Amino acid sequence: MGKNSKKECIAMLLAGGQGTRLGVLTSNVAKPAVPFGAKYRIIDFPLSNSINSGIDTIGVLTQYRPFELHQYIGNGQPWDLDRLNGGIYVLPPYMGAKSGEWYKGTANAIYQNIDFIDNYDPEYVVILSGDHIYKMDYHEMLKDHKKNNADCTIAVREVPIQEASRFGILNLKKNSRQIEEFEEKPKQPKSTKASMGIYIFTWAKLRQYLIDDENDKTSENDFGKNIIPKMIQDNQRLFAYQFDDYWKDVGTISSLWEANMDVLYGKELNLDDDKWKIYARNNAEPPQFITPTGKVSNCLISEGTVVKGTVKNSVISNSVTIGEGAYVEESIIMPGAVIEDGADVRYAIVGWNARIGKNAMVGETLEPCKPGEWKIAVIAPNYNLPADAVVGPNEMIG
Amino acid sequence: MRNNIMGVLFASDAEDHLNSLTIHRTTASLPFGGRYRLIDFALSNLVHANITNIGIVTRSNYNSLMDHIRMGRDWDLNRKNSGITVFPPFVFNSSHDVYKGKIEALFTLRGFMMSSPEEYVVIANSNIAFNLDFEEVAKFHEEKGADITVLTYHDELNPRKIIVSADKNNRITDVRYAIGGDVGEDLCNLNIYFIKKDLLITLIDNAYAHGAYDFEKDILQEHLNDLYIMNYEVKDYVAVIDRIPTYFKRSMDLLDPEVREALFYKHSTILTKVKDSVPAKYKETADVKNSIIADGCVIEGTVENSILFRSVKVGKGAVIRNSIVMEDSIIMENASLDYTITDKDVIIQPNRSLSGYESYPMVVVKGKVI
Repeated sequence: MGKNSKKECIAMLLAGGQGTRLGVLTSNVAKPAVPFGAKYRIIDFPLSNSINSGIDTIGVLTQYRPFELHQYIGNGQPWDLDRLNGGIYVLPPYMGAKSGEWYKGTANAIYQNIDFIDNYDPEYVVILSGDHIYKMDYHEMLKDHKKNNADCTIAVREVPIQEASRFGILNLKKNSRQIEEFEEKPKQPKSTKASMGIYIFTWAKLRQYLIDDENDKTSENDFGKNIIPKMIQDNQRLFAYQFDDYWKDVGTISSLWEANMDVLYGKELNLDDDKWKIYARNNAEPPQFITPTGKVSNCLISEGTVVKGTVKNSVISNSVTIGEGAYVEESIIMPGAVIEDGADVRYAIVGWNARIGKNAMVGETLEPCKPGEWKIAVIAPNYNLPADAVVGPNEMIG
Repeated sequence: MRNNIMGVLFASDAEDHLNSLTIHRTTASLPFGGRYRLIDFALSNLVHANITNIGIVTRSNYNSLMDHIRMGRDWDLNRKNSGITVFPPFVFNSSHDVYKGKIEALFTLRGFMMSSPEEYVVIANSNIAFNLDFEEVAKFHEEKGADITVLTYHDELNPRKIIVSADKNNRITDVRYAIGGDVGEDLCNLNIYFIKKDLLITLIDNAYAHGAYDFEKDILQEHLNDLYIMNYEVKDYVAVIDRIPTYFKRSMDLLDPEVREALFYKHSTILTKVKDSVPAKYKETADVKNSIIADGCVIEGTVENSILFRSVKVGKGAVIRNSIVMEDSIIMENASLDYTITDKDVIIQPNRSLSGYESYPMVVVKGKVI
C-alpha cells in the first residue's frame, strides 16, 4: 500500500465530548457542532485556526452523537481541507482485530489513532479541543516549541485567582517558562496560569508516553491528569506558551451566551478579519430581509433570515423568522428558529429549528447579573413552544 | 436521476444596453439580488434538473465570469465526468471578429457537443433570473413530440422582444420582431430552447454553410412549417435583464415576498459562490426598512427600499433610499443615495448626495470615488 508523504505537523482535534453543561443544546449533537455567532459552529474555530496556521492535516476524534458533526465536516471543503495528501479525517472509535473500545480518555483517543498519525510521520502533533472560541496562530506556538527544544508546549493564559481552581494550573520555574508542576483543578492554586487545553507535542516523545500510559492500568488516560504530570515527573522539557488574546471556553449556557455577545460587540473578538477568516459550511440562502415593519439595532444577522419584528442586542442566525410584533432582546437565535408574531424573547438562547408560539414569553428583563452568571432561558432545538406559554429566566425547556 | 440532457449558456447578451454595468464584466456575471450573479439562476436550474454537462460561451470581458465560476464547485459541478466548460471568445479567421450570433457561437461548440454523450441540449441566455423545473420542460418536449421547444413568457416592461405566436396546440406559428404597436400581452421569446442535439447540429451546420447567423430568423422562422416547434410558456416569475431600468425594476421586485419566494425557493435552490463573509452587523444607530441585506455589511445609517450586496459599509447619518449598492462599496457619514446603483468598490464620501430617477437610475461605475 502507498504511503502518505511526510507532514511536519498535524493536528488532532478532540471532538468527542458530550458537553453536558450545555443541557438540551447537546442532547442530540456533540458540543463542537453547536451553532455559534450567527453563521458558525464551535468547531469552525479550531479548524479555521489550523488551516490559517498552515496545518492541512487534521484528525477529528468523535464519539458522542457524531452524526451531525460528521455531516457538517463532510469532505472538509469549506475549510479548504479537501486535499490529495492530508486533509481532514473523522476518526470515531473502531474495532481492531483483537479488541475494540470507546475512547476512554483524551490520551486514549490519541493512543487508539497512533497508526493514523504514524502514516504522516510527523515531527509534531497539535492537540486541540472543540469547545473554545478564539483566533490563534498555532504556527507561532510551534516556532516557540522548536526554539525551546521542548517535548511539550502548553498554551496558557492568565485567569483571576478566584477562578483558577476551575482550570488546569501550571506552575513555572523561576524566571523561566519551563513547567515545574501541573495541577488539575487545584483547591489552592499556586499560580494563575491556566492551561487552554492546546498542546504541541514532539510526536516521538508523546507516542512513547501514550503507549506507557495505556499499559498503566491505574491511569485515567487523560492528558491533564496523567500524561503531562508524568512527563514533568520524568524531567521532560515542558514549556508554557502565553496567549493573552481572546479565548473563551463555551462549555456552559452562560459562557456560550457571553461569547456570542462578545462577537456582537466585536471589541475583544473581531471576526471580520480578511487575514484570519473563520470558515463555515454554508447553505445557499438568499440574503436577509428586513421588512417594512422590522426594526434592528445592535445585532448580527445572517443569510435567509426575515425580520418583521423588533430585534435588539442579539445574534440572529441564518434562516430565522422573526414575526410581526415579536420582540427579541439580548438573545441568541439559532438557525431555522421561528419567533412567531407577538412573542417576546429576552435573555434567551433559542435552539435551532425551535418555534416560539404567538405571544409566548421567554426569559425576562433581569436585575443586574454578575458577568458569567446570566440567567439565560434556553429552548431546546426543534422544540415547539405553544402560543402564550411563559418560560422564566434560567429555565431550560425541551 | 441520470438524464440525457446537456446545457449551453451564452454569457453575453444585451451588453450594449447595460453598458455602464457591463464595462468590466459579461451580462452573466452581473451582480443581482444582493449576493448572486445572473448566471447563478441558469446554472442552479440546470443542476437542479441534473443537467451537469454545461458549456458556457463567452464573448468578451469574461475574466469576472471565470473568477466567479472557477471550477464550478459552488454548483457541485466540479465533476470527474461532465461539469462546466468555459469557451473563450472564438475569433473566426475570415472575419477577424468574434462570433456574430448564436449560430456562429454554436458552430464553435460543434466539437464539444459531438463528443458529449447526451442526446438533448438546453440552450439558454444567462441574463435571466428565474426558477424553473427543466425536467418539466423535458417532459413537455417528449409528450408533444417536439423538434424544438421554445420557452416563452410575458414581459410587461419591455415589448421590444421577439414575439411568438402559437396555435391552440401550442405549435408556434410565427416568430417576429416586435414593432411599435405591440404591447406586453404577446408571448415573448425567453431565449431558452430545448432541442435534440443531432438536430441542432444539422440545423447549425446548414445555417452556417449559408452564412446565416440569426438563430431566431434563420432557424426558427425558417422551419416553422417543416419542424414541430412548440411553445412552453413559463408562468412563474421571470426577470429578463437587458437594460438599466429593467435591471433596477427587477432588482426592486425582490422586495416583494412573493417574488422572493418564487425566485429563491420554488423549484431549485439558487447556488452561488461562497465567500465566507461574516454576518451582517447592524449598529445602534442603524435604521433599516424594507431592504435586502447581504452578509458582511456593517450598517450605522438609514437604509430603505434598497438592496445592499456583501460587505457594504454604511456610515452614521448616511441615508440610502431606493438604491442598489454592490459589493464592498462604502457609503460614508451623512452621504445620501436615492434611485442610484453603485457598482462594486465605490466610495461615496461624507456629505455627498446622489440621486437618479425611478425610470432612469443614476449609475456609479465600478471603483469610482465620489
